[in-house]
Parts: sequence; C-alpha cells; structure tokens
Amino acid sequence: MATLSTPAATAPEPASHRPAAPGRSRSLNRRTREAIAGYGFLAPWIAGMVLLTLGPMAYSLYLSFTDYDLMSSPNWIGLGNYERMAADPRLASSVLVTLKYVAVSVPGVLAFSLGVAMILNKGMRFLPFYRAAFYLPSLIGTSVAIAVLWRQVFGGDGIVNAALGTLGISGQSWIGDPDSALWTLVVLNVWTFGSTMVIFLAGLRQIPTDLYEAASVDGAGPIRRFLSVTVPLLTPLIFFNLLLTTVNAFQAFTPAYVVSGGTGGPLDSTLFYTLYLYLRGFANLEMGYASAMAWALVVVLAVFTAALFASSRYWVHYGDER
Amino acid sequence: MTSTPRPRRLAAMIAAGTCAALLAACTGGTSVGENPSGANSGETVDGTGPVEGSVRLAYWGSGPRIERTQAVADLFLEEHPEVTVEHENADFAPYWERLNVQASSGNMPCLTQTQGRQLNDYTTRGALLPLQPMIDSGAIDVSDIPEDVLDTGRGLDGELYMIPYGAAYDAVVINETLAEEAGVGLPEEGYTWEEFGDYLREAQEGLPEDVKAANLGGGLPNYFIAYVQGTGQDLFDGNQIGFDEQVLVDYWNFWEELRADGVTTTPQQSSEEPDQTEQRYVAQGRVMVDNLPGNALTPAQTTLDGLAPGQQLTSVAAPWGEAGQGNALFTSGFSIPANCDNAATAAAFIDFWINNDVAGQAFASDNGAATNSRHLDQQLEDPELPDEKQHELGLYQEIVEREPVSIVYPPGYQANFEDTFTRHWDSVAFGEASVEEAAHAFYEEVNAALAAESTE
Amino acid sequence: MTATATSTDRAARDHSAGRSRPPRQIFGRRVVRNRLLVGLVRHATLIAVLTIVLYPLLWMVGASLRPGNEAFGTLNFLTSNPTLENYREGWNFGQLNFSRFFLNSLAVTTLCVIGNVVACSMAAYSFARLNFPFKRIMFALMLGTMLLPYHVTMVPQYVLFNELAWINTILPLTVPKFLATDAFFIFLMVQFIRTLPRDLDDAALLDGCGHVGIFFRVVIPLSLPALGTTALFTFINTWNDFLGPLLYLNRPELWTVTLGLNGFLDATGESAFGPLFAMATLSLAPVVGFFLVAQKLLVEGIATTGLK
Repeated sequence: MATLSTPAATAPEPASHRPAAPGRSRSLNRRTREAIAGYGFLAPWIAGMVLLTLGPMAYSLYLSFTDYDLMSSPNWIGLGNYERMAADPRLASSVLVTLKYVAVSVPGVLAFSLGVAMILNKGMRFLPFYRAAFYLPSLIGTSVAIAVLWRQVFGGDGIVNAALGTLGISGQSWIGDPDSALWTLVVLNVWTFGSTMVIFLAGLRQIPTDLYEAASVDGAGPIRRFLSVTVPLLTPLIFFNLLLTTVNAFQAFTPAYVVSGGTGGPLDSTLFYTLYLYLRGFANLEMGYASAMAWALVVVLAVFTAALFASSRYWVHYGDER
Repeated sequence: MTSTPRPRRLAAMIAAGTCAALLAACTGGTSVGENPSGANSGETVDGTGPVEGSVRLAYWGSGPRIERTQAVADLFLEEHPEVTVEHENADFAPYWERLNVQASSGNMPCLTQTQGRQLNDYTTRGALLPLQPMIDSGAIDVSDIPEDVLDTGRGLDGELYMIPYGAAYDAVVINETLAEEAGVGLPEEGYTWEEFGDYLREAQEGLPEDVKAANLGGGLPNYFIAYVQGTGQDLFDGNQIGFDEQVLVDYWNFWEELRADGVTTTPQQSSEEPDQTEQRYVAQGRVMVDNLPGNALTPAQTTLDGLAPGQQLTSVAAPWGEAGQGNALFTSGFSIPANCDNAATAAAFIDFWINNDVAGQAFASDNGAATNSRHLDQQLEDPELPDEKQHELGLYQEIVEREPVSIVYPPGYQANFEDTFTRHWDSVAFGEASVEEAAHAFYEEVNAALAAESTE
Repeated sequence: MTATATSTDRAARDHSAGRSRPPRQIFGRRVVRNRLLVGLVRHATLIAVLTIVLYPLLWMVGASLRPGNEAFGTLNFLTSNPTLENYREGWNFGQLNFSRFFLNSLAVTTLCVIGNVVACSMAAYSFARLNFPFKRIMFALMLGTMLLPYHVTMVPQYVLFNELAWINTILPLTVPKFLATDAFFIFLMVQFIRTLPRDLDDAALLDGCGHVGIFFRVVIPLSLPALGTTALFTFINTWNDFLGPLLYLNRPELWTVTLGLNGFLDATGESAFGPLFAMATLSLAPVVGFFLVAQKLLVEGIATTGLK
C-alpha cells in the first residue's frame, strides 16, 4: 500500500547503489555497463552540444569582449562592453522593468495555472473541451495577430474601457501610457498560462486518488487535503514550473516586441532586458555589447538556478527516493 | 541533483566554458565577420558580362507589392529565359533584421532593396558595391532619372551605392469632408507652420466632439525633417546633427502648445497608434490631419470608406518654412552587395527595372513615384490611373520641381536618430521633461551615438 | 503515518459488518442534494470566465468574418453581414496557396516533434536514471544552455548553417531537434522520470532487462504524460516559430504559416487585416486538433503507479 513518506532530506542516491554482487569484477562490470548505457543514451545530446551549441555559445562569449558590428571583423576590447553596461541608464531601466515583470507575472502565472488545473482535475462533463479552451490563448500568444488583439482589449477604445464605461469609470489607453503598459504585458503573460496549466494537470493526474480518499475519510477538509496531499506530491513540477516560468520571464522578448512595435515604448516602459539586448545588437549593430548583456543575464540566471536547486533539497519530494 | 556543493558546480561550469571558448576562438568561427566582400575584394566590378545563372531578389512588402514585384521579375525572365530569380521578402522591420544576419556571414542577396536611411549602415562597412562603374560601362542606364533623385543613393563618400527606383515623400493627409464641415477647407499652397497651427485651431472649433484636428506629431521624425528642411538648415553635417538645438525646441513647442489647446490627440493615444496605415487615426476618421507616406493615401482611403463612408481624404505638401518647401524625398532602390557573385545579371535586372516601359507599368509606382521621369509621365497620362494615385504622383512632381534638398544619412540613422527622437518627445509629452531639457538630451545622445558608430 | 491504516481498517470493518458508509461529506457538514444545480453553476461560471479569457480570440474570429475594411470598426465579435471573403482571399495568397504554407509548417513541425521526443527522452533517461562520469557537469551544462538568450547564438549559428549550405532548407530547423538541443524538454522529462519509483526498475533488472530494456519497457510507458507534453509543446512552439523560418526559409515556396501570416502585414503599403485574421484563425485549427489528441495521452494516460 502506498504510504505518505516523510519529507526526505536525502538526495537521490546514485543508481549504482544496488545489492552488492558477488565478486569485484562483476560490480565493476555493472558500473561500466551503466556508464556505457549512460553515454549511449546521451549520444545525440552530446553530438548536439559539440556541433551546434557549444561553438556558438563560446563564440558569443568571445564576442562579448569585442566590438563586433555584424559586418566587420571583431576587435578585442576587453571589458569595454561590461564597463559601458554599468554606466548605461537605459540598461538599468530595462533591468528594473524586467524585475518588475518577473516579480508579478511569475506568481500570477503559477497561481492561476494551478488554480485552473485543480478545478479542471475534478471529473466533470465537457472536461476536454474546457481544457482545450483554456489552453487556446497560449496557442496564439506569440502570433503577429497578438499586437492587434491586445490593443483591442487594452487600447483606448478597447473592451476593458468599454466594460469600465458601463460601470461609469472612464478608462485611459492602457497600452499607450507608460505607467500601465508593462502591466498589460503581465496580463498577457498570465493569459498564456496554458502550458503551465497543462503541466500541473499532468502532475495532478499522477497523484493516486486513494490518497485523497484516505485523507478525507480521516476528516481532512479541502484545504488540508490540498496542503498535505497535493502540494507535496506536486513539488517536482512546482519546482520545474517555478524555474522555467522565471527563466522565461527574465528572457521575455516576443510580447514586448510585438505589443510595443519593437520599441520598448512608451518611454521605455516595456523595454525588457532581452528586447534592449536585441535592439543594441540588431538595430544599433552593436553585437559585442549585446553579447555582453546576454552573458550578464546568464550569470544572473545561473545564480538563481543554482539557488533554486540548492533550496529544492528542503521542499521537493521526488518519487525515486529510498 | 542537490548534494554537490555550489562552488564546485560553478567551478566546473566555468572550466567547461573557458575550454570551449578557447577552442572556438582558436579554431572555428573565424569566418564570422571576415571581410564580407568575398568574391569581389580589390577589383572594380562594372556589371558587364553574361546574363545567366541565378540571383536572389530581396525586398519588403506584402500582398500587392509582392504581386507587382513578381510581375516585373517575370517580364525580365521572359527576356532572359536562362536566368532564375529567387524571391525573398518580409515585412519592413524583419527585413532589416534578416539582412543584418545575412550580412554578417557575407550572404546578402545580389539584388538587395535598400533605402537612403539605412544605406550607410552598409556602405561604411564595405558591404555594398559602388555602382558608378556599372553606369560608366553602360550596364545600367540612369539617363532618365533626375540628378538630385539619383543623388539620394550616394553614400558618405559621394559614391553611388543604390539606384533609386521609387521616390516617396511624406504628405500631410487631410480629411476634406471634415475640413469642410469645420469650415476651414484646405490650407493654401505655401502655407507656413504658423499658419498651419492657426488652421488646426480654427478647425477644432468646428469639429465634432470626439474628432481632433491633428494627431500629435511631435514624435514623427519625418514630420520634423520637413520642419528642418523648411528652415534651410541641414539635417546632418557629416555624422553629426546639422541643425541648431533651437530648431528642435521650436518644433516641439509647436506641438506642445497645440496639445495644451486641445487640438491634438493625447500622448497615450498617439503612442498606442500602430504603424500600419489601416490603423492610423486619420484613416479611421478620428483625426482630421496627419502626416502619412504619400503612397498611403490609397489604403487610407479604402479604410475610411469602410468605417466612415462618404468621407474623402486628400494630401497636400508639408508646410513651408522660411527657406522654402519642407518636403524631402525618401527613396528606395536596389543595391548590389560586395559578396554578390553574379553582378552582371544583377545589373541587367536593375537596368530592366528602371528602364523597361512594360515593367514600369506593371509596377505602377507602388513604392513611391517611379524615378524614371519618362515612366512617371506615362503613368500620369494613363486614363485608367485611380484618382488617389493620380493625386499622389502629381504631388510628387510638384515637390520635385521645387528641387528638394537631398539628405545623406550617417550610419546608424534609423537606430540612433529615429528611435531616440520619439523617446525624447515622449518624455516631453508625458510630462517627464521640459522641451529644452529633452531637446538638449536628444542632441547629446544622438551626436555621441553617431560619433561612436563612425569610429568602428 | 498511520492515517491510511486507520481508514482502511475502518472501511474493512464496516464492510465486514455489512454496514454501508455514510454518504461522502463535502462542503462541510451539509450534504448537497441538488447535484444538477451545482453542476449548472459550475458550468456557467466556467463559461463566463472562458468568455473573458477568450475574448481576444473571439474578436479575431469575428473580424475574420467581416469585410476587410470593417475589421476594426467594432469591439463586438458578432457581425451583421458575415462573409467568407477573407478566407478565400487569404487562402489564395499571391502566387502561392496558403495550403503550401500549411504543408510546410506541418512537415517541419512533425519532424521536430519526432526529433524532440526521441532525443530528449533518451537524454532525460540518462540523466535521471543512470550514473556515469561527469554526469553532474553535463547536467549543469544542459541547464546552462537554457539560460542564454537565443539572439546571441543566432548569428554564429547562422554562419555555421551557411557554411553547411543549409540555408533555404528545413535542416537548420529540424536537425537540432534530433540532437536534443531543446534543454527545456530534457529537464521536463528528467523531473517526470524522477517521480517514478525505482522499484519497477529493480523488478525489471531482476527479470534480466538491461538498461535499454528498462528504458523501453518501464520508463517510456510510464512517461507517456511527459512524452505527450513534450510532443504538444514542441508542436506549438515550432508551429508558432517566426524567427527561425524568417532566417532560414527565404524562398516563399518554403514559407511556414507564421511567415505567411506576417506576409499580410505591410507597414509601408497595404496590409490585409481581414485575410490575416482569417488565416490566423485557420492556423489555430491544427494546433487545437493536436492538443485535443495529445491531451488524452497527456492527462488520461496512465493513472497510478500501481504499487499496491
């Protein structure tokens, strides 16, 4: 019978921890066989890394120390780009914009997708239809049509203002005002919550229902069931979604590009970090500077990822613990 | 995956990264950014030679533009059946993005469409071939193109890098119907900016509640160029700004005062307005006057017909300044990149496009008036030419007769001037800076950026 | 934890005593009798929320059914004179049919889905279940590839593909998928696979399966939700990808749907918004279809781990 295991603080054990085989030669053989299998299954990835990823990545790191402008040979300028970054007011403002975006949209997306996933997890009629319907916004989220559609919603004559009008409030152009433009993008990010929701749904489906039954028979109400059954078993996916949503939010580009027409306006209020990076690289032809910006972002994200991984020891429960 | 102490994992990542970086820097990847001249470094290419093989033709536009371009290409292929033309097209903004990536690996198409505004981004980096040798050798015949129109294709060094085929201008588009209802009619020829302001204020009194006389124009670079041209000052002096700061201050004050008087749209409304003609307020009947590209008259009218049937749009020249007319010409044309391996065919194609009468008719001045004056006359004489097109081409001829000054844009114009202009105007319009502060900040930022651009 | 022992014991006792258990208690102490009312309220709420969430899409569909130059006239998504003109016009896009773009998109997307599912599941199995030298470094490296914005590797990769003469083919878009370059999915599947207890692995080992056998007989069947998710997301991402096709598919015959849609926009001339909305609506169809198919696999796949 399945038991609710206590939160284990142990790390997942290496797979080679098996009942010792008689004779040293046999266990070495097993370890070698496992390593061969490991590399074998990893072969496509290794090929991809070596051929397609490592080279361009390393080259872009090199470019961050040059003044490459896409058309002439790159000249080494050492830390010049990084020094300019430290003194660039637009870069500082783009960092602020991005941080605001991450801080609000990540919790928003996670809460919303988990909420909807939980509602949809109960057996109900037309469930597949609802699931697909809530997923629809994600399907069109990056399309060129989004710029037009979002203006229909948040523009000066959009539906939001029409709705506010019926309540007697006169709204403004949410997209055209520097104070509110960023929040329309946050809403856009939450609107495309479909992928996160689907992942949560898949995870919720894997939680055995008898656990819920057992807990409810014991007198646990819905909230207690959620906290003691759902959340602990969902932690690997919460971890995954938290990490990915945050990384994606830091790297957000398309929503800002499409809605602001590629400018990050009005008044740089939607100038996300990667949008600014893109403009410096491809519009100003300062690819070296853009590469420096990109690698600075990598460092920040790497620190964040490492911190998240380190913390996961305390709150994520994997099924492969012993 | 959590028991490795952090420092050890970070160190491993750094080690891996450094090894890879050293490897890559030493061995591969050096072809990036190498002299993109490739096939033609050192020799003068005069465009003579056999017309054969295949060329790639890159241009921007959609729908009707694509059809017309393909029509011309097909006509060319009829004359040269052994040639193949591969089309590459995209919308305006992604077009340059892709072109830059192609340029970085010496892969620009042999027939690259360019504009004066972006031209010098490429010429100062040696990415384009000088075309004078091809004219001298007779491969391209430009005798029907007016001299000052042809000059718009010159780079900073005075060499010709682009053969302009279409000359566009920015016009002041007015909703005639609304103007008459407001009792102001159209401005007279030779109207100044001051008269323009009075005209708008008067119109606003007679317009319905939710229609504004003008769209806020402080952030439109082309509108501003017209203003500068009117003062007689230069837009650029080499790679620095050529006009006085006061000119910009006056221009922005002009619009700020109109805005304060309630004659224009709000800054929020104007910053929300998309670029496509169909979504501009003047095409939807929400403002009476705005600055649009001359060839936008036709799609704007079509849109207006759907939303406010019966209303008529027309276009007039930009206001005059003390030194004369404000309108400048913005030309589009073809360039041949230095990495092109089939310059002869490319030259023949350009020559065909510019000079062949049937081709001229097929394209019908879709991207600005045909620079070939013979073609222009032929089109104007065509009885089947739609009214709006007739008006657009007629206005073009008037502008050319007044000998507009040709502007040479320094490299980085689009990124450093246009975007900065809008951004600093926004800071004025949204109340974050005074006109003087913003103008000064703009001046410093643009000059610094343009100077940095040229030393690379 | 003895909760389960207690409840099962109680259930067993009740059963053996011939007593039926009291009705399940929901909503606190009161038993709700009128299930129909609850169901109706829930459906009504969901539909109301859905209408708000889907409003932009509904507007777009409505605009696609309006004549071209009336596209922006109203906020409503119902129209008084519906027309299919936009669909016809959009389909016959210039000299090429939009059907060509759909086929191209389908080809690229299918290949990408297959590539990702195969290559990423293999890599994920390796990271999640097997041990080998340098495993931790490589895992960190894999995560690291997700952190770099793609714009900066775009140019070196373009140069690389240019040297290989792969421009104007679908190879730059599909081959990387077969080489597991999408770290997102490797990571996703690692997380999924790690939720599977190892007892099944051990059972298979005892049965004489090698690692390959475990992969095919234990891990894959139980990871169907993860594989389904990978397939679905890959499909959607590839279907909606604009930058990749923009750079590598220059000839209009090779265009995918996203390039085709962008082809309706022209900031310098005439845009065709009616056909744009029509084709954008149509382009949703395959993605929705794939989603409906995949979601069965995804969510109704394998239920419990069957460890009892």
